[in-house]
Amino acid sequence: MDKLIDDEMLVAQFQAGRQNAFDELMKRYKSKIFSYLLRSVRNYEDAEDITIEVFFKAYRALEHWQPKAKFSTWLYKIAANLVIDYHRAKARHPVYALEDMEIPEANLVATDQYSNPVKELEEKERGRIIREAVDQLSPKQKAVFILNRYEGLQLKEVAETLGMAEGTVKIHLHRAMKRLQTMLHSLWENNEI
Amino acid sequence: MPKCKKSEGQAIDYASKLLSTAEAASFEQHLKNCSECKEAVESFTTLLNLTDMAEQEVALPDAALRDIEMNVYKRLAATQQDESLFSRVRGYFANIESLFRWHKTAAASTIVIAMITAAVLVGELFQPEVGLQLTESQSADARMEEYLQQDIQRHLDDAMITHHLRNDAWETESHLHRVQEQAQGTNWMKVPQTLSVSNTIKTAATGY
Repeated sequence: MDKLIDDEMLVAQFQAGRQNAFDELMKRYKSKIFSYLLRSVRNYEDAEDITIEVFFKAYRALEHWQPKAKFSTWLYKIAANLVIDYHRAKARHPVYALEDMEIPEANLVATDQYSNPVKELEEKERGRIIREAVDQLSPKQKAVFILNRYEGLQLKEVAETLGMAEGTVKIHLHRAMKRLQTMLHSLWENNEI
Repeated sequence: MPKCKKSEGQAIDYASKLLSTAEAASFEQHLKNCSECKEAVESFTTLLNLTDMAEQEVALPDAALRDIEMNVYKRLAATQQDESLFSRVRGYFANIESLFRWHKTAAASTIVIAMITAAVLVGELFQPEVGLQLTESQSADARMEEYLQQDIQRHLDDAMITHHLRNDAWETESHLHRVQEQAQGTNWMKVPQTLSVSNTIKTAATGY
């Protein structure tokens, strides 16, 4: 609740002409928005560009912003719309990139005597398979899953962000979970992940 | 083995911690006696742990996060510059447009003037011959009278010339001149009958 008031106060200060208030809002949300975008687009450069675009759009629209919903929900909504635009543009002009170049992983080097590079490699491979499974969800299922599971948004907030009914969000979440289970269950049963 | 009446969705909601406290407590009671739901909950909990771990491995680059504020302001500055440039270009084109509008006005005026001039010239070319000039203020009778006078005048002139060519007596000619003078501005029919005009001349003058 305090956070909501704080955000609203910062917005009010910005609307009153205090530019530093926007800096504070960016500082507060840039990491969350960036991680959401990175999970959605799976490309560092694109995620960074879209994050900049989110705050750019927010800055220009904030003057007329009305506190009908949480500021963070509004920000995620801008991001979610840009993700839709991104995927549409990518569908029109597909860019084929090597998977390894999409998300660089840390060098597999033993950092201390207790480290196990082989185990690290296995864990990274497991992580890659799981992320690929998440990426195979439908755009709506993926958006709902990411926002609820990783960004910690309540179902109501996810509904506001994506412009859906709360019940629809729940249906997408259930479908996403079942689909992931179908894709990954056999792998963890066989200790492959 | 009969399928549990509890929906799979409830197992998902429980694993995802989406149930209210009361709903969760009720479902936990059910789990004590339902291996099917217990298994479903375990499966979904494992799934969520795996997906959470997989995402935690994705590191956020500090450099990108550090530069975001600066890049946002760079983007805003560039846009403001673009908008300023755009407004200047738009202003420039607006000026050209206004100039063009002025030219359009001038062109339209020129065309109108040219058309009026042409109409005047054409009007002059096709103007009817000046002979019988009547004014609108005259009544129909007055017009008829004037026409008659002018017609009489013309016939008198013709008659006088003809008479002269026939080498008639000067007296007759001067007499005709007097008739002519009297006829001008008067009604021919009102010319005093005392004036002796030869029938020939009279016929020639009236033309009837």
